Amino acid sequence: MTKPGPGTTDGAELAAGSEVDTADRGTRTGETGTDLAVHLDGITKRFPGVVANDDVDLRVERGSVHALLGENGAGKTTLMNVLYGLYEPEAGRVVVDGTERGFGSPQDAIDAGIGMIHQHFMLVDSMTVAENIALGNEPTKWFGMAVDREQIAREIDDLCDRYGFDVDPEATVEDLSVGVQQRVEILKALFRGTDVLILDEPTAVLTPQEVEDLYDVLDELTAQGKTVIFITHKLEEATHAADAITILRDGESVGTVAPERTDREDLAERMVGREVLLEVDADPVTTGKVVLSTRNVAVEDARGVDVVSGIDLDVRAGEIVGIAGVDGNGQAELIEAITGLRTPDAGTIAYEGTDITDWSRRRRIDAGMSYIPEDRHERGLVMPFDLVENSILGSQRSPEFAADGRIDWTAVRDHTDDLIDTYDVRPPDADADASSFSGGNQQKFIVGREFERDPSLVIATYPTRGVDIGSTEFIHDRLLELRREGVAIVLVSSKLDEVQALSDRLAVMYEGEFIDVTDPDAITEEELGLLMAGQQVDETGKGASDAGTVGTNGGESR
Amino acid sequence: MRKRFRRTREFIGRHPRAASLSAVAIVLAFLWATPASWQTSTLRLAVPIALAAIGGIFAEKSGVINIGIEGLLIVSAFSSIIAVYWLGDGGATMGVSNLWWGLLVGILVSVLFALIFAIVCIEFKADQIIAGLAIWLISLGLAPFASRIVFGSPNTASVARFGSVTVPGLSEIPIVGYLLFDTEPQVYLMLAGTLAGWYLLSRTTFGRWVVASGENPKALDTAGVDVRKVRYAAVLLSGVFAGLGGAGFALGTLGTFAGGGDTAINGRGFIAIATYLLANYHPVGAVLSSFLFAGLNSLQTALQSAGYAIPTELIRTIPHMSVIVVLVLVGRTRLPDAAGDHYESGED
Repeated sequence: MTKPGPGTTDGAELAAGSEVDTADRGTRTGETGTDLAVHLDGITKRFPGVVANDDVDLRVERGSVHALLGENGAGKTTLMNVLYGLYEPEAGRVVVDGTERGFGSPQDAIDAGIGMIHQHFMLVDSMTVAENIALGNEPTKWFGMAVDREQIAREIDDLCDRYGFDVDPEATVEDLSVGVQQRVEILKALFRGTDVLILDEPTAVLTPQEVEDLYDVLDELTAQGKTVIFITHKLEEATHAADAITILRDGESVGTVAPERTDREDLAERMVGREVLLEVDADPVTTGKVVLSTRNVAVEDARGVDVVSGIDLDVRAGEIVGIAGVDGNGQAELIEAITGLRTPDAGTIAYEGTDITDWSRRRRIDAGMSYIPEDRHERGLVMPFDLVENSILGSQRSPEFAADGRIDWTAVRDHTDDLIDTYDVRPPDADADASSFSGGNQQKFIVGREFERDPSLVIATYPTRGVDIGSTEFIHDRLLELRREGVAIVLVSSKLDEVQALSDRLAVMYEGEFIDVTDPDAITEEELGLLMAGQQVDETGKGASDAGTVGTNGGESR
Repeated sequence: MRKRFRRTREFIGRHPRAASLSAVAIVLAFLWATPASWQTSTLRLAVPIALAAIGGIFAEKSGVINIGIEGLLIVSAFSSIIAVYWLGDGGATMGVSNLWWGLLVGILVSVLFALIFAIVCIEFKADQIIAGLAIWLISLGLAPFASRIVFGSPNTASVARFGSVTVPGLSEIPIVGYLLFDTEPQVYLMLAGTLAGWYLLSRTTFGRWVVASGENPKALDTAGVDVRKVRYAAVLLSGVFAGLGGAGFALGTLGTFAGGGDTAINGRGFIAIATYLLANYHPVGAVLSSFLFAGLNSLQTALQSAGYAIPTELIRTIPHMSVIVVLVLVGRTRLPDAAGDHYESGED
């Protein structure tokens, strides 16, 4: 097996050479320059029944950050997979560094200096950072008899110094935060001598602070002559971080713009193909009686450590209570306790005035509790089932669909067709397996199923995760509609703009506790970010003393 | 109870030197206090378990659970005996003792069976547990059947065994010398195999790839390493180690192959699986826990000859029981994430 030895000298030369490059060029944005790192020319890629890319052009300048913007299924990832050698295009040329290339496999692309960081990190959790970075490219000593760990450590140190990373090479990956893991992925690509780095939805899993850090990293990378292409469907990211934005819609390129010559509305319109309302219109609603009420709820994890403690939460009919927080601060466990997927170790949960702490999951569903789970693959759908079967998960015993222990499949099919129609699930094929749909469409289907259950309480965790703006707008509208109808809603999300815009009250969760409960309109996104990172912000009104009391007194409507 | 184990582990983590010193002290005191004949017999009985365990570690670490390791021990033990029988008992071929040729044949046959297992699991994506059981059941039937054709009985004829080899000088070291340097070739092979296995897994490129292949094959694939090749190599390696264990046990300790019932191997391959689970896939730990089980086995034999009859069946449950106890109390054994899963490049 031939291994492209990522020697120290190799990397140093690259960096030295490219520093000169950037200095020479000076201004690099705005103009269609001569120095293209990547040029995709008229790429067409077809899948059975779909044209994923239709004659797409992409010109990426060396040393720039280029955003590839588009909705789910617009063909962004397909285009990048063509560049990365995973797909063979039906037509078009791939030009890297001025030379036309045909990549048969990712290895060819890697050899040509192209690196891709997938949405799901390709890291071995139980290995150390150094082992992961070197995996597949380990320098050896003693005639290949041993991995040269000193050299790996040295090279990582060099890379960290050069790009200003602070990563401990000896740390085990599973102990690292997602943001740091992403940095490990970037280091892994740099270790291999990558010049063009493709990032697939890099911010999907990051906290706001981590996103800022990522922007800094991107700046540092381009300052040293590396080229970055990142895939996103978030407008802010494209306008904030990119030097140029190429928009894809339905597999076609809608154009390339410079961020300073456009705005969010314009981008959204190009992306979706129609005008989009970016601001959510939350009209004041009067709240009713308390639907969900928890007192002093605590949950321990398998090791006996408290992951949720002392949670008091009241949610009234007709209001949305948002729970913001960085993933892994106990939101998942709290929601599991409320929905009946886990027994709390302390405290009580009441539903419409009745203590339901010991109720089974089924009883809670029957009582009108809807739940959009965090992980749609694990809890939301049965992947090998078709949509008809998936549509009655949880209501398989409801008299509407089942009589005398038999399921009325005709009624279920009608129900499924309604869901597909109302929630715009594409392709509209009720008989297709859940696994054959894209993440966004799976999510729309789950949201539809849970919303149409006629619930009095909706627990929505990350309801728009992986969903494009068009569908996000729709899901938000439906949430507000339910709120108007007097449904109590708990909304867990790590998207700050989402919780802020939709919630009537907002609880910030950190290390298992509510550290602040606030009016979402009275707090800035920065303050919210700091709270999520565990820092108190004095001017947000309420202090730490009454943290955790999302009491009935807080039920102000707006 | 679990908390106490955690505290012990934390202590070991904080004071690695103190922990290893006290471990050495315990071992020395133990060696001083127990009879030499029992120690020697323990080492010899540990050979098939320890080597099969190391082989099993490689296969399972790469993501292929080789539950057929018992079958590999059976075929290698049988084929080594029959090879020596055919080549001529006590003779030599091309200047090398026929016993060594027997050992080689045992390893090759074991590797052949491992190859079949690998093809079935990796190429045809059979369920690993079912394929592994098939390898065991086929071996369990095939070895006595072949023996019946050659010898007219499920038990083979007896052949000569490996003799002791004394390393001059080193064998004079007090307490451990007679044990480690005045013993039979298969014991030396076991000790060397332990070190080689540990080194290969933890220090070489191949070892890193094996671990990655079992934990997150997709990560290894995107890093440009062929997961299939790594898994083939790991499974074949498990065949080498198991073959060494089975043939070494047959030629060094038994001198014959009894094909009745559970055969002469008698579940040692399954005990090997228990040992490496107990040691959380650490080769050295697996070998040490195989000493524990071999020691109990040898103790039971000794007690039996002294007139205290402890049923063998009961003794044989100990390894499996202790795995359960350890899993419950220590909870440290962690299967590789992708163990048992098929991997197809390019699939999402």
